[in-house]
Amino acid sequence: MLLDRKPRLSWGVTLTVLALGIAVYLPMVSQVWAHKVNVFAWVEGDTVFVEGYFPGGKKSQNSLVEVFNPAGTKLLEGRTNKKGEFSFKIPERTDLKIVLTASMGHKNDFIVPASDFQEVESLPSSPAQSFAESAKDSSAHPADLSQLEGMIDRALDRKLAPVIKLIRDTRKEGPTITQIVGGIGYIFGLFGVFMYFKSRNRSK
Amino acid sequence: MHISEGVLSAPVLVTGAALTAAGVAVGLKKMDYEKIPQVAVLTSAFFVVSLIRVPVGPSAVHLVLNGLLGLVLGWAAFPAILVGVALQGLLFQFGGLTTLGVNTFIMAMPAILCYYLFGRGIAHKHSGVAMALAFACGFFAILLSSLLLALCLIFTGESFLQAAKVLVLAHLPVMVLEGVVVAFCLAFLMKVKPELLGATHAAG
Repeated sequence: MLLDRKPRLSWGVTLTVLALGIAVYLPMVSQVWAHKVNVFAWVEGDTVFVEGYFPGGKKSQNSLVEVFNPAGTKLLEGRTNKKGEFSFKIPERTDLKIVLTASMGHKNDFIVPASDFQEVESLPSSPAQSFAESAKDSSAHPADLSQLEGMIDRALDRKLAPVIKLIRDTRKEGPTITQIVGGIGYIFGLFGVFMYFKSRNRSK
Repeated sequence: MHISEGVLSAPVLVTGAALTAAGVAVGLKKMDYEKIPQVAVLTSAFFVVSLIRVPVGPSAVHLVLNGLLGLVLGWAAFPAILVGVALQGLLFQFGGLTTLGVNTFIMAMPAILCYYLFGRGIAHKHSGVAMALAFACGFFAILLSSLLLALCLIFTGESFLQAAKVLVLAHLPVMVLEGVVVAFCLAFLMKVKPELLGATHAAG
């Protein structure tokens, strides 16, 4: 038995070194390829923009995009361009389920809630309307108001663009080191428990 | 190698799950007490390796290592791959819970076949022959996984030949890379822990 122990100990040391090596190496590797496809969609004006990408940020090109309403009826379909993007005019003011199918069995969906469109519609128009009412007596012309609305829209789009980009980028992040090390921990723990039960059977 | 949820139909998912359950049962039965730590390490390697992106030309690939798992672990590759795939699904949303069975089977079945095809051969006295067989093992495991994946996709309406062509071409760099990695792993194990490879075949 004593003779038996020695190689097993060195095996244990090898394991530890291997696991540590992997754990140290991993932070240098941040990108992942084609495990999963992500979809993200956002609304600008009356258009919905869809973007498909893999973890790590690689674009999902020429992927099928299908848009469904809550009843499950397909409203439209299309394919993403070279940048992994696809856009369409809002076909119905309901919740839209956007399903993206990439090659090799990768698929994911994203739901754009109907409230997104209402906000887009009501936000710029209602202040403009109240402004219009209060401005009725003054010298403002309707032409100025629609111009103003357009300006607000453009300004909002411009101000929000970095925020939307930030959201898109955050969603592109691959697995984090915490998750990876946690996963390895789970594996060792799981096999440890398995070993415990096996050892109880053995000692019986 | 990870099929997303919602791509496959229920019969394919159930068949995959049943085959995986059977494979895991055999694997657990054949897993000796002494072998458990080894299974745990290779499971960790499998879990981590698909997160490491290797750039090949314009695109990037990742290793799978199912050939190596089959070669070293034999039937224990089934529970090892199941645990790896399950954790990748839970932590990174690769694949998914419903496709767990199918995804495990796609990667584990070729591992077992490799074990039977090349398992005895790698103990060959001539190290050149052993290395060539190890390369073939890594290569063949991925090729077979791609074909199994294509087979699963038939039921989604894609034609087998087309799906197989796309998948095999996409995985060609992985096959070569995997072959090389398995060959080097084997050479390393032969020098450092030759009993690791021999023991499997005595028991299995």
